Amino acid sequence: MHGKIMNASFDALVIGGGIAGGEAALNLANNGFKVLIVEKDLSIGGKMILLSKVFPTLDCSACITTPKVSEISRHPGITIFTGSEVKSISRKSETSFEAVVIKTPRYVIGEDCTGCQLCEQACPVLVHDQFQYNLVGRKAAYIPFSIASPRVAAIDIENCTLCGACEKVCPTKCIDFTQEEEEYCIDVKTVIIATGFNLFDPLKIPRYGYGTYKNIITSMQMERQLAPTRPFNTILRPGDGKVPDRIAYVLCTGSRDMTVGNPICSQICCMYSIKQAQLLMGALPMADVTIYYINIRSFGKGFEEFYDQAKGMGVNFVKGKIGKITENENGNLNLRYEDINENVVRESEHDLVVLSVGVLPNTDSKALFHDGDLKLDPFSFVDQADPLASPSKTSIDGVFVAGTATGPMDIPDSILSAGASSAEAISYLNRRL
Amino acid sequence: MNKKIGVYICHCGGNISDYVDVEKVKESIETDEGVFLAKTTMFACGDANQKEMVDDIKKNELDGVVVASCSPKLHLLTFRAVTERAGLNKYNYVHANIREQASWAHSDDKPGATETAIHLVKAAIAKVRLAEPLYPFIINSKKAVAVIGGGIAGLRAAIELADMGCPVTIIEREHFVGGRVAQWDVLFTTNETGKEVVTKLYNEVIRHDNIKLLTGAEVISNTGSIGDFTMKIKVTPRYIKEKCNEGHLLKAIAVCPVDVPDEFNFNITGRKAIYHNFPSEYPQTPVIDIKNCTRCGECEKICPSVDFSQKEEILEINVGSVLMATGFDSYTPADGEFGYNQFENVITLPQFKRIIDLNDKKLIFRGKEINKIAYIYCVGSRQIDGENKYCSRYCCTSVIYAAMQAKHKFNEINNYHFNRGIRTYGKQEVLYAESLKGGDIYLQSYEDAPPTVEQHNDKITIRINDILTAKKEMSVEADLVVLVTGMVPRADNSVASLFKLPKGRDKFFNEIHMKLRPVETVIDGITICGACQGPKNIMESVNSALSAAIKSFSYVSKGELELEPIIAKIDKDLCTWSGTCAEACPFDAIKMVKDEKKDVAAINNSVCKGCGMCLPVCPSNAINLIAYSDNEIESMIDALAG
Repeated sequence: MHGKIMNASFDALVIGGGIAGGEAALNLANNGFKVLIVEKDLSIGGKMILLSKVFPTLDCSACITTPKVSEISRHPGITIFTGSEVKSISRKSETSFEAVVIKTPRYVIGEDCTGCQLCEQACPVLVHDQFQYNLVGRKAAYIPFSIASPRVAAIDIENCTLCGACEKVCPTKCIDFTQEEEEYCIDVKTVIIATGFNLFDPLKIPRYGYGTYKNIITSMQMERQLAPTRPFNTILRPGDGKVPDRIAYVLCTGSRDMTVGNPICSQICCMYSIKQAQLLMGALPMADVTIYYINIRSFGKGFEEFYDQAKGMGVNFVKGKIGKITENENGNLNLRYEDINENVVRESEHDLVVLSVGVLPNTDSKALFHDGDLKLDPFSFVDQADPLASPSKTSIDGVFVAGTATGPMDIPDSILSAGASSAEAISYLNRRL
Repeated sequence: MNKKIGVYICHCGGNISDYVDVEKVKESIETDEGVFLAKTTMFACGDANQKEMVDDIKKNELDGVVVASCSPKLHLLTFRAVTERAGLNKYNYVHANIREQASWAHSDDKPGATETAIHLVKAAIAKVRLAEPLYPFIINSKKAVAVIGGGIAGLRAAIELADMGCPVTIIEREHFVGGRVAQWDVLFTTNETGKEVVTKLYNEVIRHDNIKLLTGAEVISNTGSIGDFTMKIKVTPRYIKEKCNEGHLLKAIAVCPVDVPDEFNFNITGRKAIYHNFPSEYPQTPVIDIKNCTRCGECEKICPSVDFSQKEEILEINVGSVLMATGFDSYTPADGEFGYNQFENVITLPQFKRIIDLNDKKLIFRGKEINKIAYIYCVGSRQIDGENKYCSRYCCTSVIYAAMQAKHKFNEINNYHFNRGIRTYGKQEVLYAESLKGGDIYLQSYEDAPPTVEQHNDKITIRINDILTAKKEMSVEADLVVLVTGMVPRADNSVASLFKLPKGRDKFFNEIHMKLRPVETVIDGITICGACQGPKNIMESVNSALSAAIKSFSYVSKGELELEPIIAKIDKDLCTWSGTCAEACPFDAIKMVKDEKKDVAAINNSVCKGCGMCLPVCPSNAINLIAYSDNEIESMIDALAG
């Protein structure tokens, strides 16, 4: 059941408001084109806005993302739909596509919300906070995270008990339970797919015990613990709240691993793990950090030097893939692995294990195109029709791809890929206008 | 004098507030002269705070704003924009850096960090009291871009610029386009040949009326700056008429008596003084290498298209932006490095790729058939003692693919990879898996124990303590050793010095910010892309080329540009032209001009960066930096020392 269908038209539709989508949208809008960004989450900024610091420059990620996000959100040429999904796209004419976009209700009148958080304090419901990767809880009436854009409350209707406490305290009366799903019929001339990636779910490797053993976390959970908007203000292991002092990283969790159906390398895990290890050495000077690896792939500009820096700081690198993890009574973990250097099978004990989870395709975009002609590559990333000469072209004329939707890549490569897709989109628009 | 100043002190998550007591900073400054309101904020740069600042400025009619947060390199422009959105002149905004200069610098001393932060904010308040509205210069920007380098990145960027509606001049030093890609045969991942890719792009270039292609062309001088670069270009002639008879030319090539090493084949073969690198290379007219030509006249006798009367030309072009795509050199191993130039059958990866291309059915090198090939990785990259600390990124994939090509094309090839950990990142991993499946042998060592190469009685032996088999000593007798050489910056990078382009630690050209501004340089109006910026594969080069194209386009598309008004200003009355300021200027922005009675210094507004280098050297104190006058600086010093 939803309200009336609304129509609108734009030059370009950018699917995904992460760093790649945002960069592509800015390039288009700065050149005078009207852009619609459709973002599934409640905030734009994608995964980058949630990171701690970025390799190899160690810039604070929030600090370099927020101004970009702010520029995107106030650009007169850019319209943003958050909490929205593109349901389908079909070619309408030689020069246009029709996109059906569903905007799910936030149950808050965005323009009136001041972000005061009184609703959050009043709400009695406590659920896992997805933006903190379930490390802590949040309310059913909540602001997604402190640097979200828009910084506007939302009601998580699935968990809401409809008690009305938020409505009573809201000073601007902006909570509105009568909001309905809205359907938009949008006419666009070109489309940029910037749907990003999914993280590997380590529950798929039962021998590592993630989800069973409490002191195993994912690298994204560690990322949150190290971020400026971190939940605890220090590093804690979840089992008992102890500050860890023997931390292990398990590289290639879900990458280069046919047992989970993913033969490819995720391209970023070596470097983000080395970065986290360096940040941990700073946050917990007495802690030992060990990285278990198959190959260290520090291939980009300044990466090898960054790896050398980590070795110099005392991060312990062990060549060997972790076979199995078991738990001790005290919550510590035993990691079983083949020590390649010494040619023996060893076990070593750590009090916190971080699984460096890999990059998987976000396959949402496949279903978007009615004609079914958006080709995917063998790994289910969006296929590049001409990867050497025009890397952002897809199998559909007028549809371009940016960032990790085409495969694993780091932030600089995502931004360059977004630049390329917007350049191609502008040329495409110029040719057809 | 500004009297209603708003001050915002940022926590920066915990980046600042973990070490600096931001509440104390606020209390210490809120009663300072002129301070109307003072606030602390979790993230000053966040959208919500920006909105609040706009509201505050409007509602209270503030006339000066200070944000105490991170480095102005990150957010000066952010907050200037906020000020502007609130209707206040953006130069009434002053930035105080209490993160890099206080909290991060003094994380071991919280009271000290707080004290430093208080003084820094007080100094910023002192400066903003004296701030005056300033207005940017508007300059014309010529709607044209020069692309330097006609390899894959340069060609691709030029096509995109032309597609966006911008006139382009491609300046290629060689007589043929396509750069490195033209030298490669079959390419990963598409199995197209380098020639096919270059053909496709060349045809696009020719199709565009907007693109002017200069080959044999070198930039010899540059004056001017963003919006208005004027370059002189030396164009060497081909000494062959454009409309030539191909049959005659082939005969002319055949009779040429000169034999020089062929750089296209990385010197493994020779070529004549009249040559093309391969049939139907672009542009299709061959060229006479005048440096090596003996003027024997044999070619002239056979072919009427040969024309020694052609003259070197100097062209002048004017553009608004310059896009650098000058590419890379392959590392040349030192004599004796893994037997290079010491043993006959030790060659580099680019040479190996040419040999695969040049041979058919059997792989023959120096008259002998090659069956066993050893590849030694990371030669010239990841050096322990040498200068090149970086990984060259493309070589693992490139050599694995070349080894597979060799196996595919020739009979009985066995490949042995002496590596330091394979880095086939991303989807390239499947190539490595395929190579393993195909029977290639991988042996690994660390940097401290590289493999050794020896030759006894015509046999080359490579030894390694292979860490994948418990450091057992393994040896392979190989027919050919391929040194997997990485990418190094161009040996002749003189074009970069004409533009004063900065280089990074790795000696490649440096971008302003790897993530926020990856194709821009500190020289306004000049963008960089491809492997001149650092090792990249073809796809990555093209992505950066297209990004640079859109950035260069944005400098010129509107026909005019706004420039920062914070520059040096000469007081003509005081100036007696000593010339010291012009010597001190790193940007060549100061020239002598004749005033009514005397010689005085004049600043070129679009070149001056406001760096202030000229100020202290002036013997008559005739130079002031706008927004950093003696008055402002002295009041800041008073606040800092107070």
